[in-house]
Amino acid sequence: MNIIILSLIVLLACSKEITPIEYGKDQCEHCRMTLTDKKYGAEIITKKDKAIKFDAAECMLNYIKEKKIEENDVDKYYVINLTEPGVLIDAMNAAYLISPELRSPMGENISSFADKNTAEKYLNDHGGVIFSWDELKNKFK
Amino acid sequence: MIFKLHYIVFTFIIFIIPGPVLCKDIIVCPDCEIRSVKEAISQSANGDRIIIKKGIYTENNLSIDKEIEITGEDFPVIDLEFKYQGFIIKSNNVKISGLEIRNISVNYMTDLSAIKVENSENCVIENNVITDTFFALYLANSDGCLIKNNKISCRAMSESSSGNGIHLWKCNNITIEYNETTGHRDGIYFEFVKKTTITANYSHNNLRYGLHFMFSDSNVYRENTFRENGAGVAVMYTRNIEMTDNKFEDNWGPASYGLLLKDISRSLIKRNLFYKNTTGIYMEGCEQIQVEENEFKSNGWATRILGNCMNNKFTGNNFVSNTFDVSSNSSRSENIYSGNYWDKYDGYDLDRNGTGDVSYRPVSLYSMIVDKVPESIILLRSFIVELIDATEKAMPVLIPETLIDDNPKMKMIEYD
Repeated sequence: MNIIILSLIVLLACSKEITPIEYGKDQCEHCRMTLTDKKYGAEIITKKDKAIKFDAAECMLNYIKEKKIEENDVDKYYVINLTEPGVLIDAMNAAYLISPELRSPMGENISSFADKNTAEKYLNDHGGVIFSWDELKNKFK
Repeated sequence: MIFKLHYIVFTFIIFIIPGPVLCKDIIVCPDCEIRSVKEAISQSANGDRIIIKKGIYTENNLSIDKEIEITGEDFPVIDLEFKYQGFIIKSNNVKISGLEIRNISVNYMTDLSAIKVENSENCVIENNVITDTFFALYLANSDGCLIKNNKISCRAMSESSSGNGIHLWKCNNITIEYNETTGHRDGIYFEFVKKTTITANYSHNNLRYGLHFMFSDSNVYRENTFRENGAGVAVMYTRNIEMTDNKFEDNWGPASYGLLLKDISRSLIKRNLFYKNTTGIYMEGCEQIQVEENEFKSNGWATRILGNCMNNKFTGNNFVSNTFDVSSNSSRSENIYSGNYWDKYDGYDLDRNGTGDVSYRPVSLYSMIVDKVPESIILLRSFIVELIDATEKAMPVLIPETLIDDNPKMKMIEYD
């Protein structure tokens, strides 16, 4: 029993929390812009529990591409769900739509969604191409 | 013979004059036959002029797909009542002037604006007053427009629920002059805009940037004033920018810059005034920028140049009463400093040629310490700081070897 409690405590201590993005205050680590558009944003939580914030998914991807952080040091990637402004979701399981009609802050027009169905709904309305996290990362290599 | 002359004159009138003669003026006023702008637009044809008399018109979604001119007399009010957006210009050669447009609705999914210009050429938007906006003027995919002398204001509370004053996306050859924008997210915003001139605008008290450029090559901005904006002016990912005779003033705050330059190359920054900013110029990833004859006065950091900036040239600038003149996060410097005036320079000029005989290193050791440990700012102006700076000046070990002005001026440089 003690062991269970102890391991729980250890687990809780390990779980890394998302730091919510403070729009209007936080600066993008990659492009230095102040974050303002609640429909867009991204965050990396490092293994040392540090939150690195970005104004758009493309800035996070460029940050990784330019090796400003080693992928081994990353605990988790997050992106903003377009349909829930300000809410961060797991980037690896998110669906992405690149559509010229949905203009993201850094010009790559990447929108992210919690599931593929919503992304497809937006695809029907606005056109574009759907990507998964891995496909998107390959695009930025 | 007389008959024949009449005949010629008559044919002349019929065949040569008709163009302008057929165009008509449509008058809109609260007690006229036509009482709404929307109706006037639907009755108009190419080349017509709609004259709106003084009054308050509650309208929405005024789509213009004809080449017409809309003019207001004594600033008639187009009140959008926060319901949706105002004019949407979809055809070429449209002119809108002399209107007061107010109360644009805030919407997170669509960028609603007072006047939107889409896929058009040669529009003129002049002498309008636009208040309580979300976006005010929004130009997309347009060419050759003139935006002049508009007064745009908004009372946005938070950056995320506000739009931009003048917003340009994928436009070419636009002229923006003598406008005033205040209270928006960004006063003037450019994305993918080319060959555009921004002259003598006044952008102040905006929540984020007074002017914001991204991916917009070959633009010129001169004689503008940017004052008390949340984070100053940002120019990013751009080439061939000419910035001359602008004023960057009173941009204070932890993430505030007079001018933030990120990934800029081949540009000219000349004869600007940087006064009372937290950081006058911040440079990251910049190459081949000429910084000439600018005045840096009473800033926290006059310039912060990160280590990844190369081949930039600082000549003939005045650095006066700044806490730090140059700061860098790197011990190497690939930039050239020459012939500037530094008020902290304490060398001598024995040959009296106006140039100091001893070269000057503008980076102080303390500024490097502050860069690494921001909290150490608490030691500013303390004895210990003066001591380490004096020691480092006598025997430079840690400050960048190559960051040096060989021809520091003895007197402040006068510009004509």
